[in-house]
Amino acid sequence: MSGLEQTPGHGTFDPGALRRQFAILGREEAWLDNAATTQRPEAVLRAMDGFYRRHNANTRRSVHRLGAEATAAFEGARATVAAFLGAASPDEVVFTSGTTAGINLVASGLARWEIGPGDEVWITGLEHHSNWLPWQQVAQLMGATLKVIPLTPDGGLDVEAFRRGLAAHRTKWVAVAWVSNVLGTETAVREVCAAARAAGARVLVDGAQGVAHLPVDVQALGCDFFAFSGHKMYGPMGIGALWGRRHLLEQMQPSVFGGEMVARVEERTATWAEVPYRFEAGTPNAPGAVGLGAAIEWLQTLPAAAHAHEAALALAAAEKLKQLPGVTVWGGGGWRSLVSFSVEGIHPHDVAQVLDSRGLSIRAGHLCAQPLMRRLGVGAVARASFAPYNTPDEVQRLLNGVRAAQQVFT
Amino acid sequence: MMELYQERLLTHAKHPQGAGIVPRGTEDAEAIHPGCGDEIRVKLAWTSEGTLEALTHEMHGCAVSVAGASMAVDFLKGKTRKEIVATSSAFAARLGKTGFEEEWGDFRAFNGIERYPARIHCAGLVWKALEQALAQESEHHP
Repeated sequence: MSGLEQTPGHGTFDPGALRRQFAILGREEAWLDNAATTQRPEAVLRAMDGFYRRHNANTRRSVHRLGAEATAAFEGARATVAAFLGAASPDEVVFTSGTTAGINLVASGLARWEIGPGDEVWITGLEHHSNWLPWQQVAQLMGATLKVIPLTPDGGLDVEAFRRGLAAHRTKWVAVAWVSNVLGTETAVREVCAAARAAGARVLVDGAQGVAHLPVDVQALGCDFFAFSGHKMYGPMGIGALWGRRHLLEQMQPSVFGGEMVARVEERTATWAEVPYRFEAGTPNAPGAVGLGAAIEWLQTLPAAAHAHEAALALAAAEKLKQLPGVTVWGGGGWRSLVSFSVEGIHPHDVAQVLDSRGLSIRAGHLCAQPLMRRLGVGAVARASFAPYNTPDEVQRLLNGVRAAQQVFT
Repeated sequence: MMELYQERLLTHAKHPQGAGIVPRGTEDAEAIHPGCGDEIRVKLAWTSEGTLEALTHEMHGCAVSVAGASMAVDFLKGKTRKEIVATSSAFAARLGKTGFEEEWGDFRAFNGIERYPARIHCAGLVWKALEQALAQESEHHP
């Protein structure tokens, strides 16, 4: 594995110093399940702790000083998210519980009012269930047709097939992942967005697997909505954000009703608060938002070499796993954060269990992508996913562990 | 290193008893574990006396699921439907809880599985299918 640290053109990066910011990495386990959830640096934990210890109050409804501080922290986090995404303004950012909640909000709050019988909703063949089911269900509910952008043999999106299949006036919505949580590759998201919008359709991008690894710019992606989660980018669980174009957020209906999302409530009618507050009913997850803001600031302190380092680890893992007899690596290249693989004759859960006994945490299963699994012809896969705090030694231990699993089961 | 994958379990996993092809649609029951996607289809054959002659299973699952199904094959052979239902309850009371006594034979490989909570459902997958198969049967032959 020597030479991994020396990625040409990217300088050197020492994960050792970074690891010390993560108390949990002091355990012996190698955390290679970052695509499921990353670990959190001290800066994030301190920010959340500090909110509760020093500024805790309900946001946007209290005249007291703590209320003002809590609101400032919460809205400050919104501004941080907005800048991170390249939003036109903070009020284009809705805090959600995560990517799933954001996608569901768009599907049920806007898409369902815009589609009807005979219309088409497109997703892609590699979507996570969270960007499959909301569209499947809304299409079913409204009598529309769910269409799936096929995959090319190397695991990319067949954009040409999509362009051919696009029907002006009938294609109303398109939802696409930025980075596949199974194949690990960045999709042709810009091409899909451009083609969709040219045909008059709206596009949502599931950014969950991209935000921790790629520079984000929703304007450059060319989408109408962008959803992501905090916990896959070093932030807390239970918080995420949805970005949407302002005029579309204005058209979107709230789907959760209650406190703080209203302008005026009568006995039988009500009007809603301004965007984005009308989508944030109830007491918000303010410490989560503060933690997400801290995670973004922390992520932005990482040098480019840190991302080159994690990409080099993923690529090395993919290339070296491919060389092992009986191992299939899924996807046609472009691994920069994760690699999914199968070991002939050994169920992925057994691979993961053997690796766990050797102190490596990886994910095994259908990865919430059952349609893609069926296309790959497997029921489940094993997946190792990387962060800048991972090391070349952990990649080596992964390879040794897979060999050990082969010895146990064959 | 791996107390889960003892020789007893691996032997069953590598050479499972009763493993076969149960084409979709011909099974007596199917059980799926939605969390991991493991699935099993079972086909039961009975003697004229009403005892289990053969349990055939097609499993798409991990070593623990496969071994669990394999162990059930010989263990249940010759038992009546009623006895299998009782055995299933007794199995559920032991798996991941009190553990299995001597008379449970190879199922003792599952003793200690509570240290791998994510795998308990694997060991029990075949029983989910069996319970369902027998419940459906009793609807047809009350």
